[in-house]
Amino acid sequence: MRFPRFVSLFALCAAAGALPSPFAMAADPVRLPVLVPVTGFLALEGTSQRNGALLALKTAPDLARPEVQDTATAPETAVNAFEKALSAGPVPAVVAPMLGTQMLALLPLAAERRVPLVTVSGTAQITEQGNPYVFRFFPGDAVVKQAHARFVVEELKATRPAVIYQTTAYGQSGRQALAEAFKRLGATVAFEEGVAPTVKDYRPVLAKALEARPDALVLHLHAGPTALAIRAAAGMAGVPRIVAGSAMHQPATAALLEPAELKGVCAESGSSPISGGAPALEAWTEAYRAAFKDDPDAFALAQYDGTMMVLAALRSGARSPEQVRDYLARSTHRGLAMTYRSDGKGNMAHDALIICFDGKDRTPRVAKRYVQGTS
Amino acid sequence: MTLLQLGVDGVALGAAYALVAAGFVLALNASRAVNFAHGDMVMAGGFLAVVLAGLMKLPGIVLLPFAVALMALAGVLLAAVAYLPLRRQPVVAVFVSTIAAGIMLQNAATAWFGAAPRAGPSLVGGGVVALGPFALGRQALAVIAVAAGAYVGLHLLLARTQLGRRLRAAAQDPAMAAALGIPVTAMTLVAFALSAALAGIAGLLLSNSFFVTPTEGGNLMLKAYIAATIGGWGRLNGAALGALLIGLFETVAATLVSQVAAEALLYAALLLILLLRPQGLFGEIAGSRA
Repeated sequence: MRFPRFVSLFALCAAAGALPSPFAMAADPVRLPVLVPVTGFLALEGTSQRNGALLALKTAPDLARPEVQDTATAPETAVNAFEKALSAGPVPAVVAPMLGTQMLALLPLAAERRVPLVTVSGTAQITEQGNPYVFRFFPGDAVVKQAHARFVVEELKATRPAVIYQTTAYGQSGRQALAEAFKRLGATVAFEEGVAPTVKDYRPVLAKALEARPDALVLHLHAGPTALAIRAAAGMAGVPRIVAGSAMHQPATAALLEPAELKGVCAESGSSPISGGAPALEAWTEAYRAAFKDDPDAFALAQYDGTMMVLAALRSGARSPEQVRDYLARSTHRGLAMTYRSDGKGNMAHDALIICFDGKDRTPRVAKRYVQGTS
Repeated sequence: MTLLQLGVDGVALGAAYALVAAGFVLALNASRAVNFAHGDMVMAGGFLAVVLAGLMKLPGIVLLPFAVALMALAGVLLAAVAYLPLRRQPVVAVFVSTIAAGIMLQNAATAWFGAAPRAGPSLVGGGVVALGPFALGRQALAVIAVAAGAYVGLHLLLARTQLGRRLRAAAQDPAMAAALGIPVTAMTLVAFALSAALAGIAGLLLSNSFFVTPTEGGNLMLKAYIAATIGGWGRLNGAALGALLIGLFETVAATLVSQVAAEALLYAALLLILLLRPQGLFGEIAGSRA
């Protein structure tokens, strides 16, 4: 009876006790699950997250290959995707969804299976649970809302800002961070009101905000509502300078508005790839445009940097999830957006910037950088 | 900004919602089941407007007939796929099939257009119209005019034409209508076409000022449902009035109190109406409520 040659070779290796582990097969790239919401209400941001991860993995096809699964919007969908990804064999890490509720559902599983999650979720709680397997590459509220408030108070010299925020978990946590930051900076919030993401007409809330005679209008809204609010404000008289949340940095949000409507509008963000500023960043932006026929945003860049750090871990010899986790927890990674290092809780990103539109086009300019929370 | 200006904005929003609600009621009366894909048809109408504006570079008012015609065809397709094969099954089968159709529309829109919001064409351009001390939005005034025209047209079609009489007869008693020689299936298809055409108009009207995203159908569906409940299940005029009330709550009441309180007040008003007048303001005519 003849056996195929590879069966004989396999038997020989096994008999010799030399059969390598799945991670140690240098010739075979490891699987890297990319679990992201590409459908549902977070599809815009989730698509950016996916694209960032894919662009990073494209640079090292010999090291890792992506396995993309859509997690949509339900926590159980993310859990199922995670289980499916791990059931197919060991993985060194998982690119995990940016949706906070999905991350909260995945955290216990990641701890149980000892697999690091690399994400750009902004939800504060995910790094506040003492879970050593989560790594967030997008600055959290503590960083960006501090920058948001500092720009309003220190650069615009505003002392009575009005705050309009979304009534979602994202909006509430941002509102709380803004309130604390304004208090620390000695500013008095002249008006604040929450608005549901389903609201179409922002003129009522803007009219009320203007009655309080604020000297700056601070928005902390999702992408569509941000554009709705800015369009409504552009048609009203007496509106002070607007400093919006990170949704305004997204090219897709700016595309909804005319350049004239954007004049003088600023926004906070972790980064703004289309604003350029460094040759490497500009080259990356062009590569992104060529690959996805779209402009990149900060989520794409952050996930790119996070995935590149995982690849750096693999290049350094880390193979098991535990080794990759240790690398992420202890190393410093110089990414395109910023330099990343864990604060001990898995928060890797600590810089923020403020961008502003001049009304001539839809490309914002960087107005202020807040590096490592200083300035 | 005065209450009058906000009132005009509220009426414009409510007028667009009224078309959504009218389309919802037309399909409801024709099929005796809730068409859960109706909100997604409005969304589809919005994206169609974006596509047409990109292709033709014309103002929304010129694109409107194209949007109406194409959406009417989409309505016939929806009825053929999600309603007619199941019309002799329990009504829940139609719910499920329209829910499935809505999700398919949503995912198709995400796949084709991406998840980002898109802005549709304005009807006659932006800017304001000065009326004495008041500056009223040109788009808001145009939305009110187009919605009113569409609603009057629908009313005349249903009340003054033979087709309208046949549509009403087929909706009220399909068996009797069939016995009298009215082609009930064809009338159902016409009702779905009209319903989708109204969704298309509403989608175009809403897509400029309020953008369009693949996932907004559910929210519009909820508004249509509430409007129909307030006005009386199956009542066209009642649903339109209910929709206008929703629009005014979202603008005027939100200015007087807050957005969150206005929404709470809207649902409180809904509960009060259901308590005092469970059949809605104009009474029910549809056979069953779902």
